[in-house]
Amino acid sequence: MTALLEVADLAKAYRGVHAVDGVSFAVASGTITGMIGPNGSGKSTTIDCLSGFQRADRGRVSLDGHDITGLAPQKIARAGLMRTFQTVRVFDQFDLVANLMVAVEPFRRVGWHDALARSARYRAARDAAEARARELIELVGLTRLVAAPAGILSYGQKKLLALAAALMPKPRLVVLDEPVAGVNPTRINEVADILRKVNAAGATFLIVEHNVEFITGLCDHVIVLDQGKKLVEGPPAEVHSDQRVLDAYLGIDERQTSAVAEAS
Amino acid sequence: MKQLLFAAALLALAAVPPSFGSNYITGVVLSGLVFTVAAAALNLVYGYAGLLSFAQLGFWGIGGYCSALTVMRFGGNFWEGLLVAALVNAAIAAAVGLPTLRTGRHAFVIITLSFALLCGLVARDWVSLTRGPLGIPGLPAPSLFGFAFSTVPRFYYLVLAFAVLALGFLFALGTSRIGDTLRAIKQNEPLARSQGVSPLAYKLAAFVIGAIVTGLAGAIYVFYLKIVDPLFLDFYYMQTFLIVVIIGGAGNFWGVVLAGLVMVALPEALRFSNDLRMVIYGAILVVAMLVLPRGVAGWFADRRLAALRASLK
Repeated sequence: MTALLEVADLAKAYRGVHAVDGVSFAVASGTITGMIGPNGSGKSTTIDCLSGFQRADRGRVSLDGHDITGLAPQKIARAGLMRTFQTVRVFDQFDLVANLMVAVEPFRRVGWHDALARSARYRAARDAAEARARELIELVGLTRLVAAPAGILSYGQKKLLALAAALMPKPRLVVLDEPVAGVNPTRINEVADILRKVNAAGATFLIVEHNVEFITGLCDHVIVLDQGKKLVEGPPAEVHSDQRVLDAYLGIDERQTSAVAEAS
Repeated sequence: MKQLLFAAALLALAAVPPSFGSNYITGVVLSGLVFTVAAAALNLVYGYAGLLSFAQLGFWGIGGYCSALTVMRFGGNFWEGLLVAALVNAAIAAAVGLPTLRTGRHAFVIITLSFALLCGLVARDWVSLTRGPLGIPGLPAPSLFGFAFSTVPRFYYLVLAFAVLALGFLFALGTSRIGDTLRAIKQNEPLARSQGVSPLAYKLAAFVIGAIVTGLAGAIYVFYLKIVDPLFLDFYYMQTFLIVVIIGGAGNFWGVVLAGLVMVALPEALRFSNDLRMVIYGAILVVAMLVLPRGVAGWFADRRLAALRASLK
């Protein structure tokens, strides 16, 4: 398998605190890769750096062999890497379809003059984008709310909408920051099914999540970060039972660890 | 239905000069149209893109001085004056906007405010060009193919044509993907960027287009006043544009157009009580802000939302 995303020696410090300290990993094309780690382990900073929202102090990020290090977020999005945000972001005043129609990709060949004159090309692109937006809203199960402004959705519904929005441009790589945090527990399995389905259709995923069960059930490969460094990576079953991971997460001995794991 | 309403409104506006037969009333509606265009341009910048720009006042004044100077000083005609006003404003807006739009929200407000004040200073103090406080009086009536827009009703139709063109353009822009993208940037810029949108390009375009349209409005209006002087950069104009946008509902096209026509006519309609009219005007503004904090359009949006919530239950 070839690597779609390659991250080499990524580092970012805030006022001397090394949030990410020389992390290297790869996301293989066609996989669902998970990234876990305790709070403050550098997951969000890593995502921010590779999606362009933070400028890394050092290191290199390449998408499908093209160097995207230090590019602006919008350029990275246009290169095919879409992301969602941990603190969910939606366009509160827009209805669900309009939320998804902000994506630039479906209108790539449409100029401003087309938009102003409502040319045939513009209308075709708009209709196609709207049809796709409705499909995706259906996919995440929000069709009933399609006419509602996104601001009235619940937190979990917003997460689903954000997922649909990230899928809108048919991206090569989707980076999800805690996609099921706040989502109704009965719907978490549905989210996993959606991700598997989209994955089968060709999209690669990198998922940061605290819900270990969700990650274990879904991912082909898991990366564990701790204190800004990569601790281990491998298949979920292996990682799950790795002593270093248990220590990092809980910092207590194994007997208590398994008790806590069972309780959760 | 919408087309019918639009045609009726246009017909009513076209019928203003003959049906009232009063230059005074025609002049009030004429001013209303010009201010509505300027407010709609501010709406593009503030309502859609979320940029509270006081520079509009500067562009309004620059437009007025450009057209007046082109005719009175550089031997051009009115139409060339409009072209000069549009080009100069576009260039200045690009030069001011490019660095300013990179700054934060508050810095942007302060810089555009300073720009507007600076324009007023230039108009007053660059005496060799602008004649300072004396202003440039005696602007001749524009003419087209030998037809002179020399009376108020004639000039009214010139303004009506400009208003329809300018508002039509802003409507096409605002209701297209471009307008939606601007509103997306205003609501959540990082999210818009993560969807591939380059905010700076859109903001700059809105700023420049807003400057051109505002400048053209000012360039035409001085030929109705027949004079341009530093008072043309008085804050009264900026305040009028802002009131119209806020009462109409920032980011909503029809709300602002409606508010433009009403709010400009209102002080005139209140002339039955000449002493108290500005007091009443102020009171109406305060009440409007209390009842409609997000403008007329916001009020309608809230009603729609309430109906939607009810239907989902």
